[in-house]
Amino acid sequence: MWLPFSATFERNYLVMRRAFPWSFFLGHILSGVYIIVFAYLSYFYVFRGELNNRFISSAGTGDYLSYVILGGLLYSFSVSLLMIVSRAIITELREGTLEALLLSPSSRKGYYLGYMAQGFMRVGLEFFAITSAGYFFGLHLKNINWINIIVVLIVLILATFTQALILGTFMLYFRDTYITQNTLFVLMSLVCGITFPPAFLPESVALIGEIMPLTHGLDALRMVWIEGKPLSEVFPLLLKILVLGIVYFPIGAVCIKKMEKIVLEKHFG
Amino acid sequence: MIEAKGLKKTYTISKKAGFLRKEKQKVKAVDGIDLTISEGEIVGLLGLNGAGKTTTIKMLCTLLNPTAGTISVDGLDAVCDAMAVKGLVNMIAGGERMLYWRLTGAENLRYFGKLYGLHGLELEEKISSLLSQVGLSEVSDTPVELYSKGMKQRLQIARGLINDPRYLFLDEPTLGLDVPVAKQLRETVKNLAKEQQKGILLTSHYLEEVEELCDRVYIIEKGKIVLHDTPQKITETVVNEFHVSVETRTLSALEQSKLAKGLPSCKIQFLPSSDGTILEIKAPFDPTSIIIAICVEQKISIQKLELKRPRLEDAILALAKEKSA
Repeated sequence: MWLPFSATFERNYLVMRRAFPWSFFLGHILSGVYIIVFAYLSYFYVFRGELNNRFISSAGTGDYLSYVILGGLLYSFSVSLLMIVSRAIITELREGTLEALLLSPSSRKGYYLGYMAQGFMRVGLEFFAITSAGYFFGLHLKNINWINIIVVLIVLILATFTQALILGTFMLYFRDTYITQNTLFVLMSLVCGITFPPAFLPESVALIGEIMPLTHGLDALRMVWIEGKPLSEVFPLLLKILVLGIVYFPIGAVCIKKMEKIVLEKHFG
Repeated sequence: MIEAKGLKKTYTISKKAGFLRKEKQKVKAVDGIDLTISEGEIVGLLGLNGAGKTTTIKMLCTLLNPTAGTISVDGLDAVCDAMAVKGLVNMIAGGERMLYWRLTGAENLRYFGKLYGLHGLELEEKISSLLSQVGLSEVSDTPVELYSKGMKQRLQIARGLINDPRYLFLDEPTLGLDVPVAKQLRETVKNLAKEQQKGILLTSHYLEEVEELCDRVYIIEKGKIVLHDTPQKITETVVNEFHVSVETRTLSALEQSKLAKGLPSCKIQFLPSSDGTILEIKAPFDPTSIIIAICVEQKISIQKLELKRPRLEDAILALAKEKSA
């Protein structure tokens, strides 16, 4: 698994250096910044800095700006990771390299992990840029336990990786990236608690958020970042994310492998 | 040896059958093919478009699973032991696919080498030897997007050899290449089989290339093998017609009749020309020796004699005509 991992990492790094995907990079940063700016303007100029008690009890905090900024930050983070991994095979198909890849006896896990690890370099830059923007709009960066935040992010990355495998399967099935990915991203922005708590949604809609790792990742990140809670207190949330990952992984791995065969038959047969 | 027995592949396709209704239809792409490829041998796979050539190759190199039948590669089952078989085979396709254009030639080979489990010094030596073998050493650090079509095709050959496969599948390898580049590529293919003892399966629409390279040829039609032999025997079996054109001095009626009598099963036309007579002869065998004998006997001097042997292309055309009739 190591060789396909390092090969894919190196290949994508070289491609990124020669043709950096500026449109995706700036697009993800801007979507995170838009969420922050929109929340800032509406909070101060529409709602005059007032929050009702229902928000405070549902969100578990009265710091609305930090709540939304972290929402925008983690949303962009998840969307970038999902896009990087899920588009891997369909990009090979479009560039005409899928056959050469599938001809080799290499581990597909190593391939996807290499994709994700290299993509994380770009995602890390986006994360840093949105965090910096958030700082100017009220995100506090003092007295933060960065280790706890990194632990939450690692658990979320693992679950997002497994979710990306399922998204990739749908992309291959529909032979489309744009509509498929954006349908999921719009749904995530609605049900995962990016700018408002999912409790504000009708119960049946809020339930969809329960199967998204991002919902629980956001709750966990806000607890450790805004409220400074220890990991022991966010452990049940981390467990939920891990369970989702454990459920998604075999489904994603089996489905994407099956879909690769179907694509080969339909496309090249 | 690669041995395929009773190979079948059926695709299920959906067809529109009214508003929001679809009907599923089964299409037999390959219908019971038996074939063998030995090490050191170049085998051709010919057929018209849609005959099942590409599907057959995809099954042999493990990209597609057969619906029925078995494929054995040096005793390994291509479906059950697919990962082991992938290490023994490789495929080179025509066109400009199967390469990463933003990477350089060396980076492409490094990437694919690692996917085949090579690393370190062994990989670097392999890359340098392959690049020199295909004549791309000087442009090894140039991105592939700046390569010409011929250079990309040569790099594809290097990619196809990165795992030192025992069997190589070449799907239209000279498609769209200039004549000198295609010739050079044919030389490489010959060397791979004869010097490196690789078993090669070749599909090509350039039939002269198949005639030049292949030891044996399978002709498939609608997923079935309709002929299997050496290119020469296939041509003789299907076409069986030699064209001979002879230029002589002006022949008298008697000489013309002697020639016609000496070649009873042949069609002869005597055409007047400015310098004499042109004989156009169509025969089911090579009639040159008989023509020369008659001319010597009749003291007719031959100014020019041209023999057109039947080609594989004529055989394929004849077969296609037969099928459409």
